[in-house]
Amino acid sequence: MDVPVIELTGIVKSFGPVDVLKGVDLKAFAGKVTALVGDNGAGKSTLVKGLAGVQPYDGGTVKYDGQEVHLHTPREASALGIEVVYQDLALAENLDIVQNMFLGREETRFGTMDEGTMERQASETLQGLSVRTVKSVRQKVSSLSGGQRQTVAIARSVLKNAKVVILDEPTAALGVAQTEQVLNLVRRLADSGVAVIIISHNLVDVFKVADYIAVLYLGTMVASVATADTNSDDVVGYITGSKTYEGKNV
Amino acid sequence: MTDSHLAQSARSARLQQLTQLATNQSTILVGVMILLTIVFSSLEPKFLSALTANNILTDWGSVALIAVGQTFVIISGGIDLSVGATIGLSGVVSAWTMANVLGVDQTIKGGEASGALLIGTLVSVAVGVLVGLTNAFLINRFKIVPFIATLSTMGAALGFSVIISKGAPIGSASNFALISAIDPKVNPFSWAVIVVIIVVVIVGLFLHKSRFGLYTYAIGSNSFAARAAGINVERHLTKVYVLSGALAGLAGMYVYLRLGAGSPSSGTGRELDAIAAVVIGGASLMGGVGRMLGTVLGALILFTVQSGLIMIGVAPDWKKVVVAVLIAAAVAVQTLQSKNRRTA
Repeated sequence: MDVPVIELTGIVKSFGPVDVLKGVDLKAFAGKVTALVGDNGAGKSTLVKGLAGVQPYDGGTVKYDGQEVHLHTPREASALGIEVVYQDLALAENLDIVQNMFLGREETRFGTMDEGTMERQASETLQGLSVRTVKSVRQKVSSLSGGQRQTVAIARSVLKNAKVVILDEPTAALGVAQTEQVLNLVRRLADSGVAVIIISHNLVDVFKVADYIAVLYLGTMVASVATADTNSDDVVGYITGSKTYEGKNV
Repeated sequence: MTDSHLAQSARSARLQQLTQLATNQSTILVGVMILLTIVFSSLEPKFLSALTANNILTDWGSVALIAVGQTFVIISGGIDLSVGATIGLSGVVSAWTMANVLGVDQTIKGGEASGALLIGTLVSVAVGVLVGLTNAFLINRFKIVPFIATLSTMGAALGFSVIISKGAPIGSASNFALISAIDPKVNPFSWAVIVVIIVVVIVGLFLHKSRFGLYTYAIGSNSFAARAAGINVERHLTKVYVLSGALAGLAGMYVYLRLGAGSPSSGTGRELDAIAAVVIGGASLMGGVGRMLGTVLGALILFTVQSGLIMIGVAPDWKKVVVAVLIAAAVAVQTLQSKNRRTA
């Protein structure tokens, strides 16, 4: 198998006396969707925040394309092409789509912001993802629907040639049609060569879109399998701790 | 590369934004200004004079400076209650420095006076910066909400200014060379007001055209999003409170020029005028919303009402009532607008 784009080994993280991650391993491959599942409090969000550089890990190694890296700030993660789309959609509602997509990395020309270039790149990225639901890239995010916001957040993540995109519950707040749209978008994202990690509680979504499923249980990775080699019942068992995975982890 | 369909519609949306802006808060405010002018001048013809305009603009100057700083603070999702007290403190420290360090007295003239004023201004702004840094330190380091953090620096600044001045104004109003900058030179504008206008324009462009301004909106809109985008939120807020403090320091010097003295109570209550101007100007205390033009017009309306009421012979206490109505009306308009937007 190829070298994983992201390889986490023995990741540890505690908050005071609480050990949230107790030596977690995880791999993500280019062009594949890896679903990260687990019950509330299993440590999914903590694992993701460490990768994003928002909340650095206490211990363990992070390898990026086989090279060990240290992620301490969002900028460091972003520089490597690791982007996170947060559950609570880290978008500024009072800013428009372009401003949100470029926030923190604006294009400038002669010291002023190059609005034309940013507008063009934003619409090209949206078109590249076959997004046709937004009317204008100058719309304020507050005027968008939940699905459109998710789309903008995903477009923001791939704007600067992301290698790894992590999606935290991208369909949690969406209706049926919008969920379908976003899942299609996730699939297209992976097909374009990005390594996608998706956190979800919805196993129907997971089985629809994921190539691999990794199950966290109380801060430990209890199973890591190809979707084709497992089924919903088993995964539920791993999540709740009522079943133990006997096979070899991917 | 050819322009895509989306970029084209972006341009039309920007045009739409422009027209929306024209039918927006600022236009309403200009309308209110015209209406006030018509009402006051029909009741008292002398209202339409360079003298009245000069009075209004001179009053406007000090509050415009702190309101402009307050606009940044409020857009960032905070509030700065310390700016009024900072006017007093910076004026007092500056007057004390000029009197006791530079030896400025009644006899100072021409170039010497200009030099003293320049140093006085620098001292005044430095005091404001110090207050701003203290605010930022309390907010960032101890996570004290801005309301309480700036309430305590407000108290401390007021206390220090009384301690330093021993409760009495420092300096004397009688020296013309020292305070001539406030005289109407280009009627109805004085040099001091012209400086204020220049500062307001520069800071306004800074808010609407620079990355700094954009990040201020982003933080006020969703500070988590700003952080996730790699913006150093604490450092940015420090700059915002320092800017507000520095402008309050500048306002302290402006008030010194008006009074010819540094007085500890000279800025008391001004923070509320500034907040009123910002809110009338269309900003939201929730953060993320606001425009500099709105603030500037909001402050202008405040003092037009004040001068107008006095000129038509209404007791000055009514000003407070009118201002209260204006604030309530501004917030009501804002709420209606956002409701319309949601249903649109």
